[in-house]
This record gives sequence, C-alpha cells and structure tokens, in this order.
Amino acid sequence: MALQIINAGPPAEEIIEGIRKCILDAIPGAEIEISSGGPGHFEIRVTSPAFAGKSRVGQQQLVYGAIAHLMAGNNPVVHAVDRLECLTE
Amino acid sequence: MAPAEATRQQITKLIENDEIVLFMKGTRGAPQCGFSATVVQILDTYVSEYATIDVLANPDIRDGIKAFSSWPTIPQLYVKGEFVGGCDIIKELAVSNELAETLGVTPAPVVTPKIQITDTAANILRALQAQHGGPDRSLHLSVDARYQSGLSMAPNQALDMAVESNGVTLMIDRLSAGRADGITLDATETPQGPSFKVDNPNAPQPKPMSVQQLKQALDAEESFELFDVRPPEELATASIPAASQMNEQEAERLESLPKNTKVVFLCHHGLRSQAAAAHYMALGFSDVYSVEGGIDVWSQEVDPSVPRY
Repeated sequence: MALQIINAGPPAEEIIEGIRKCILDAIPGAEIEISSGGPGHFEIRVTSPAFAGKSRVGQQQLVYGAIAHLMAGNNPVVHAVDRLECLTE
Repeated sequence: MAPAEATRQQITKLIENDEIVLFMKGTRGAPQCGFSATVVQILDTYVSEYATIDVLANPDIRDGIKAFSSWPTIPQLYVKGEFVGGCDIIKELAVSNELAETLGVTPAPVVTPKIQITDTAANILRALQAQHGGPDRSLHLSVDARYQSGLSMAPNQALDMAVESNGVTLMIDRLSAGRADGITLDATETPQGPSFKVDNPNAPQPKPMSVQQLKQALDAEESFELFDVRPPEELATASIPAASQMNEQEAERLESLPKNTKVVFLCHHGLRSQAAAAHYMALGFSDVYSVEGGIDVWSQEVDPSVPRY
C-alpha cells in the first residue's frame, strides 16, 4: 500500500482559487468569500441574487453542484465544507 | 461528473420505490458513521418504516448519489422522490418542528417537560446564570437519542422551551423535550467544581436475565456475547467458561460489533453487570442484559460446582 503523505495536495490558496472559479462558472457574478479551516477544510459564503426564491437546500445544491468534482473520489482536494452560507444580498 | 446512466436510473428507481429513502453508511440497525446514526435516531422517533440504502455496500451509488443530488456528503434523505437534505438540515427540521410535515406524518404534540432541580443544583445553576448568562444566553439542558444529558451555557434558539424549577429556568430544545420529562437534576460541590447528576426515568434500562434464562441460552447455543466484568482475581475464584473476561481488547471488540448484537453482562451479584450494561446502552447497544444475582446465584441454582465466595 502506498504511503500517504500528509498535506501533499496543492496549497490552500490554490484550492480556494479553484473553488472560487467553479462557483463563479455556475453562478456568474456571485460574491464569494472562502477561508480554509485546516487542510482540506473550507468555509464558504456566497452572495448572489440567483439564490432568491430557492429553499436553503436548493441554494446549497447550486454551490455543491458546482464544486462536486473537487469533493469526489477517495482523496479529494476539498475534504469537507465545514460551513456554507448562501445569501441573496 | 455525471453518474453513469445506469446508476442514475438505479437511484431514480430507489427513490420512487419507497416514500422515505435514506442513503446512509451502514444499516438502520448498525450505522457505520455518526452522521448516519444521528439521522436514523431522528427518523426512528417519527416513522417506524423507511427504506435505507447502505452506500458502503454499493460503491456506484455512493458516488452516484452525490452527483445525483448535487450534495457532497452522506447521509441523504429523500421523501416522495424529493431531496430533503443531509444530517444538519434534518436536525434543524426536527428542532423547528417541520420534519413531521416533511415526512408526511402527524406531528406529535410538543409537551413542555416537567423537571425537578434540587436545592444544591439550583444554587449552583443560579450562580452560573448570573456569572455567564445574559439576555440571549441561558443554561440549556439537552438529552440526546441515547439519553445522554448535557448542560451548557448557549445562545437561545427560537423554538427552545423554557422550563422552570426551584427558581431556575432551563432552556430545552424540542428534540430533547420529549426525552426530558420527569428528569431530576442534582449536583454536588467537589474541589474540581460542581458535579451534576441527571436522573432520567425515560432512559431505557438494560433487561434483566435470570440465571436459568442464561443457562437455556447457553444450552441452546444461541448467538450472543457474554461478558464477565469482574477483575481477574475474582474470575480465578469462580467463573463460567462461556463468558469472556471484559478487558481492553474485549471492550474494543465489543464496540466494533453491530449495535443490535445481543450482549449479556455478568458479575458477582448483578450490580457491576448492571452498570456495564447501562454503559453499553448509552453507547447505542439496544439488546443488552444483566444477569440477575450474578455468578453467586448461578452457583446456587444452576451449577453448584462453581464455588461461592
């Protein structure tokens, strides 16, 4: 079995930029704040009128859908989103 | 990444087949992750029948359901073919009393629980409230699905219920309320600070097993785990060969077993086994017994060759 090297993934800033780009592709014009709470853990706040009229789950699905590929597989770059806030303004 | 068409069709079928479908890690009787266990505990308080899909046994569905729902985590709850959410959302719906409607069942009336706070506990709690409380912060009492109680100073939530006893007001969330009725809260002062003790009559008790029932179960070679919780010195004096001595390795092995495993505890007179049984019930085991009268009654009524001491 291959040894797993802790923190061998890309630096947090790079992952954050990746997350930002993916969310922007899905929700153009969104205002996005992302912080890292430890390796692989992130807190995300997205503000966009696109959330208006959607349930909280529906809002979060918009964001999760955009970054799903970053969270898939056995050793994903985004291990967990500890907090996801979706605001309309 | 879209899930393979076959997986997508399989999932569509699963969520159409049953009204309530939970995609989880493990099974309803033996959840393999804390979040899945929490959701099972919550659902169990509302509905007796629902379908569960163990994603650990279905790797295609495990990946497929995440893409299908645009939701990155397991567990996931579907009701009438609609995605409801994961663990956090289900907890919130339960606390805000919306879950019954979501599940399509009649909401149980929420009754404000009655609790009793002893004088000593009341004095300590009043001091804590005065020192750390505020207009938006109060003492909260919680009782989880395993009847473990917690006392904390926390911000007030919209749907908390205020319960008063002995001049002290405690806030209780709606999920805890049904499990808190009849609680007695006592405390003692220790050099390390106050120590609280909660007596909850709603907590499930381990089942008693007579020595005759134990004999029958052993003779019938029923499948169950039998643990003797006495220390080695006592076991050297008197023991039942079929019982494993409880030690660190055995405790670890027991904790890794499915939570619906039948577990029987034995000691000298039945007190320590009762405590051990209560401990494992608190850890989530559901089919737990304590042998009444312990090995002492066993040697009097079942096997006189086992010495009494």
